[in-house]
Amino acid sequence: MDRAQIVHDNFLTRVAARDLPSGARPGMALSNTDAVSVFRSQVLSRALDRTSRAMQKAGQGFYTIGSSGHEGMAAVAHALRPTDIAFLHYRDAAFQIARAAQVPGQQIAWDMLLSFACSKEDPTSGGRHKVLGSKKLCIPPQTSTIASHLPKAVGAAYALGAARRNPPEHRELPEDGIAMVSFGDASANHSTAQGAINTAGWTSVQSTPLPLLFVCEDNGIGISVKTPKGWIQASMEHRPGIRYFQADGLDLYEAYAVAKQAADYVRTRRKPAFLHLKTVRLYGHAGADVPTTYLSKSEVEADEANDPLLHSVRLLDQAGALAPEAALKIYTDTCARTDRIAVQAATRPHLANAEQVMVSLIPPKRNCRPDNGPGHTARRSAFGSDIKAMDDPQPMSRLINWALTDLMLEHNEIVCMGEDIGRKGGVYGVTQKLQQRFGQDRVIDTLLDEQSILGLAIGMGHNGFIPIPEIQFLAYLHNAEDQIRGEAATLSFFSNGQFANPMVLRIAGLGYQKGFGGHFHNDNSIAVLRDIPGVVIACPSNGADAARMMRECVRLAREEQRVVVFLEPIALYPMRDLHQAQDGAWMTSYPSPDQRIALGEIGIHGDGTDLAIVTYGNGHFLSHQALSALRAAGLNVRIVDLRWLAPLPAEALRQATKPCQHVLIVDECRRTGSQSEALMAFFSENNSQQPIARVAAEDSFIPTGPAYAASLPSREKIVLAAQALTGAKP
Amino acid sequence: MTRTAVVICPGRGTFNRSELGYLHRHHAARMDLFHRFDAIRAQHSQEGLIALDGAARFTAGKYSRGDVASPLIYAASLADARALADDIDVVAVTGNSMGWYSALAVAGAVSDETGFRVVNTMGHLMQEHLIGGQLVYPFTDTTWTKATDRKRDLLQDVARIAGLEGHDLALSIDLGGLLVLAGNEAGLAAFEASHPVLQDRFPMRLANHAAFHTPLQAPVAAEGRARLPSSMFCQPVLPLVDGRGSIWWPGASDPDELWNYTLDHQITQTYDFTRAVQTAAREFAPDLFIVTGPGATLGGAVAQSLVLADWRGMTDRAAFLAQQETNPILVAMGRDDQRPIATG
Repeated sequence: MDRAQIVHDNFLTRVAARDLPSGARPGMALSNTDAVSVFRSQVLSRALDRTSRAMQKAGQGFYTIGSSGHEGMAAVAHALRPTDIAFLHYRDAAFQIARAAQVPGQQIAWDMLLSFACSKEDPTSGGRHKVLGSKKLCIPPQTSTIASHLPKAVGAAYALGAARRNPPEHRELPEDGIAMVSFGDASANHSTAQGAINTAGWTSVQSTPLPLLFVCEDNGIGISVKTPKGWIQASMEHRPGIRYFQADGLDLYEAYAVAKQAADYVRTRRKPAFLHLKTVRLYGHAGADVPTTYLSKSEVEADEANDPLLHSVRLLDQAGALAPEAALKIYTDTCARTDRIAVQAATRPHLANAEQVMVSLIPPKRNCRPDNGPGHTARRSAFGSDIKAMDDPQPMSRLINWALTDLMLEHNEIVCMGEDIGRKGGVYGVTQKLQQRFGQDRVIDTLLDEQSILGLAIGMGHNGFIPIPEIQFLAYLHNAEDQIRGEAATLSFFSNGQFANPMVLRIAGLGYQKGFGGHFHNDNSIAVLRDIPGVVIACPSNGADAARMMRECVRLAREEQRVVVFLEPIALYPMRDLHQAQDGAWMTSYPSPDQRIALGEIGIHGDGTDLAIVTYGNGHFLSHQALSALRAAGLNVRIVDLRWLAPLPAEALRQATKPCQHVLIVDECRRTGSQSEALMAFFSENNSQQPIARVAAEDSFIPTGPAYAASLPSREKIVLAAQALTGAKP
Repeated sequence: MTRTAVVICPGRGTFNRSELGYLHRHHAARMDLFHRFDAIRAQHSQEGLIALDGAARFTAGKYSRGDVASPLIYAASLADARALADDIDVVAVTGNSMGWYSALAVAGAVSDETGFRVVNTMGHLMQEHLIGGQLVYPFTDTTWTKATDRKRDLLQDVARIAGLEGHDLALSIDLGGLLVLAGNEAGLAAFEASHPVLQDRFPMRLANHAAFHTPLQAPVAAEGRARLPSSMFCQPVLPLVDGRGSIWWPGASDPDELWNYTLDHQITQTYDFTRAVQTAAREFAPDLFIVTGPGATLGGAVAQSLVLADWRGMTDRAAFLAQQETNPILVAMGRDDQRPIATG
């Protein structure tokens, strides 16, 4: 028989017979009224698990991972405030239901059944996914890959303290709020969880406020693999900077009392705590999972005998809060109620087409207070002696630095974070003096963990900041890319545009550092970013463009709540000369702060029609180097600098190349999975009549030493390819 | 087989000429209940309900007064709720405006007499203070199709008027396809002057109504709290849906909070009856919505609230009428043709 039915039958018969599991008597922390309220939330959570399975069998529901066994989380919710931002484990329906009881006017059963039905009227995701979440309940939705929501919870907790010191215009969270994040005992082993917990402790021991409550729901098993006995306690109780609490999640009184203690500790001390909540898992992992295939029947039955609802009935009876008969009536009434509601929820419409699905990929715009920008005095004070150098041509690194300075002056909510960006000013000096200018609060030297850097950015975005995180080298993004792919980029999508985590992610990358660093400092693949829906990718090729594009990126994040990646070609940071030493031809002057390059606005250099070279980043630089040889071959050339790699500026590109007889794509990234593939497809799909060729990097990692550029496009390769394409003779 | 039902208690303005004698007609067997109420009125030298209900002549000036209409409506609602057929399983109770007091009693959160004291006291205080007034204006047309933009525009205009010097105006009740606005004379007049007459009767002033559910009632609310202690309230026996769409669950409701909501927020803030009905629908999915008497005018607002939520796929009046034709979901006990559905 289905284990869900067995658990159900057990409840009915055991409560009726008053055959209830033994345990400690109820504590004093909960009033009778509150205890019954928590019990009602537990029961609704259980009833929804049952209904979701019935809906799935009837072809009307699409999600069956349940919360049964984890109903103790209702007591945890009751111990928190509904304004405490909560990043929830997928077994936390009881938490969300109990929180809904704290906020007037909620229709929680209906809302959750709409989400099981994947109706487009689901108020959380608009029918995109069954997610726990609610704007009104301060629960950002997520379909977390394992533990991927923990880093941003750390970030949100940091943002609570940061907003006290520097309140942003679009602040979302109250000053005395805390953040909460829950996860399972198996997820606690994930490197992402370990990184986040480590970051919390690392931050805490430095006395930086981090009001975060970790809640580990320890049911002793991850799908089919058991957690070693005592593992969570042993590995978590002595973490530096993090206070450990433990509670029996089967006992709503104890769970509430300990959760309250932990929450009070976090709230008053502004330090992280780890609540280890012992639970059981009923039914198996999900609807299709049969636990008796990997657990003995006696083990399964032992958990079922400890059904937290049975414990609740005993405790409520012992407390004099609710007689078992009344508890049974609540249970049967609730089951009948969810069945009735489900009939109606199943009739509600679904998303019908791609357009409807995709409408929330891009978050909605928001109104921002108009600002005239920093005054002359403020600029002089911030820039100091740099202001005198602004009339002279400068390399890109300096112009990015100045653009960041101006932007941080103008927008108090901008916060930069990354490895070595503060005191050192970045490994390439791009963020030099920013910490002196804006303080450690706004220019944060982080620990060495990219997931934590991105999590910090996401969490700060949740509280109205405009984070500008830095990934020191493109290759370092890869261990953390899920923070963008699985978390930041999906937030608007899965919340139907109700939540956003705007940011401008600066990444130093690409090749051509002369013999320095090898692959890990010269990574030339951004395939990992290019296919993420909704993410903007900018890649400037010179200082003036970089400054103007950075301003647009910040505007996109600030006003349109976009997730933007600003890819900075390391080799061009210091680049001064184009053709020969001392020619200074690749330096530019700092454009005045009111200048921007709009998203999708490409750079067109020259008006030749024999050949259009479509490129970006270092390719743009190399193409300019190739110009003299191409002209000597009789070719009138125009160079199209894409600037924006995603979304591809299709119409501008079409117009820019239309008059040209040939198109040569120059792409410093690897042949496979690179922009050049997308551009070839673009021209092909647009029925371009011109002959097209490409020069791309080989599918190789980049070596260190003299062969550093061997696999990359070069001036010579561009010239040869152009000649081959056009038939021009050297 | 039982029929699940949400019971909905009507508010002021439902005891009109045709309702005179309602208690005698429908509840001759419950006269003991009304005698108990009359004993309370006698303590305050107020005319008894039995006499009021049994009078030969209806005068609007008298019967629309708060201290007359409110207790009569309460008594009729409560008696109707007690007259439901045995096969009806009441899964939740709600009410509109003053009907909240009736709902409290129907749900068991106050005793019959306590509820009567609450409604009688508040009706008396409202009449005594009579601060401001109310008017009604529709935002849907006669087809009841959604008009979200129209509602938003009207409420924006309410906010505009409220911002004028000396003008008070606010949304008093969100009532299905109608907006009940409340304010001072200047606020109400400004609204009337800026919006066209619709359906030959709107904007319609409500005689003897004060600016209910607005901050103007704060003195009334304060006096109510002074006269009616929280100890009068207890756990509801049935789930109660309030004028925010919140549910007060049996066993899980704090009587002090219920008292506070009833005699503060409920009096001084917008009463969102639409949300209450929609919460009742979505959280209880009953077979029937039973509007108790007296009168039947609240049925329209209930139906409109359901239509505005696309309940059971109903998106306009025609769809609602078709549903009623085939499988009635709304029963108004104040209508003789529908009453038997509820009373069996």
